[in-house]
Amino acid sequence: MEAVLTGLFVGVLFGFVLQRGRFCMNSAFRDAILLKDNVLLKTVFAALLVELVGFALMDAVGAIAINPKPFWWGANLLGSFVFGIGMVLAGGCASGITYRTGEGMVGSMTAVLGLATAGYITAAGFLKPFKANLQAATTIPGADGKSLTLHGILGMNYATLAIILALVAVVAWFFIAKSKKDEYEADPGWGWLNTGILVGLVGILAFPLSAAAGRNYPLGITAGWINIVKVIFTGASFDWLGLMIIGIVVGGLVAALISKEFKFRMPKPIVLLQTFAGGVLMGFGAVTSGGCNIGHLLSGIPQLSLGSILAGVSIFLGAWAASYVMFVLPQKKD
Amino acid sequence: MSDVTPTKTLDVCGKICPYPDMNTMTTLKKMEKGEVLEVLLDYPLSVERIPRNLKKQGHKLVEVEQLDGPNHRMLIEAHGLK
Repeated sequence: MEAVLTGLFVGVLFGFVLQRGRFCMNSAFRDAILLKDNVLLKTVFAALLVELVGFALMDAVGAIAINPKPFWWGANLLGSFVFGIGMVLAGGCASGITYRTGEGMVGSMTAVLGLATAGYITAAGFLKPFKANLQAATTIPGADGKSLTLHGILGMNYATLAIILALVAVVAWFFIAKSKKDEYEADPGWGWLNTGILVGLVGILAFPLSAAAGRNYPLGITAGWINIVKVIFTGASFDWLGLMIIGIVVGGLVAALISKEFKFRMPKPIVLLQTFAGGVLMGFGAVTSGGCNIGHLLSGIPQLSLGSILAGVSIFLGAWAASYVMFVLPQKKD
Repeated sequence: MSDVTPTKTLDVCGKICPYPDMNTMTTLKKMEKGEVLEVLLDYPLSVERIPRNLKKQGHKLVEVEQLDGPNHRMLIEAHGLK
């Protein structure tokens, strides 16, 4: 079997888990301020924690060699902030709009169209010089000339620091959870913890399989969509990530069909325009910053890349700023 | 299915995230205490998210009924705090 085909397999699993678990980082970030609802945010933390431990163990035994993204402070800040604004407009993060395409949400399909188009233009079209110059001008490499990372700064072994951080996080979490009663009744869905663990496990599975296909990195979204654009328009062949994207859409579709949740949901034309514009901001932002909420946040933070940590904070701030303008301000006028 | 007659009906089918939740909450805010809002929705995330956030605003979920597939009908009793 060709190594790239495992991308399809991982994608189907990922799409299935995303749909059944309702995993979405846009909702996670936005709901935390808008609805004071932290359920999806806890799911994100659980997934990160599982990956932190998984990556550390695999790196320690030599099953993978971590490959953290570079620190481009200017590109990380600007790109990810724009990405955060874009995902609120699009009504979903990069992985959210991808699995919801399989669920039949037409607004997510137009968002994906915007993401793929703007992503391609920024990666290979007329915005490429802008992106490349900003990244080059704001690069701060680590002492060893590689990507700037937390373990690099502290002069520690990656796996050791990752396990220490994971232990600290689990202990802190235990005390926080103990100090306040859970205000929610039983979750009718999979539950935040199960979903978080499953998302984390898919990320762990993705790393060695993707590396075997020549792409030494765990999950990602935006570059996969760009690969699909290249396959359609330039005759390129599918790579691991492109096939993984097809898998997510198929996995989302299968999960929605099994649970009888598939339906073509058509919002008003103006909303389709809004989600497309959101997708455009996401595509530009993700390629400029070097990753979306999956490439940077889910896959990069557990590798302790400083660029990914900054990108994660910046996505969060962008999403909050956009949510405030779009949803909080109008309510205050009422 | 309960025999409660809704005071008002809100159809948020086809709306993108988070409008099903936002529209439901703002409509409830404008209703009198004890009035019942019927919400028609087809977005799976909101079907799970609206019930867990109603309580914080003091509203009461009367029932959730699955119509067919992702289509749901929700009955909510407004708290009436304006």
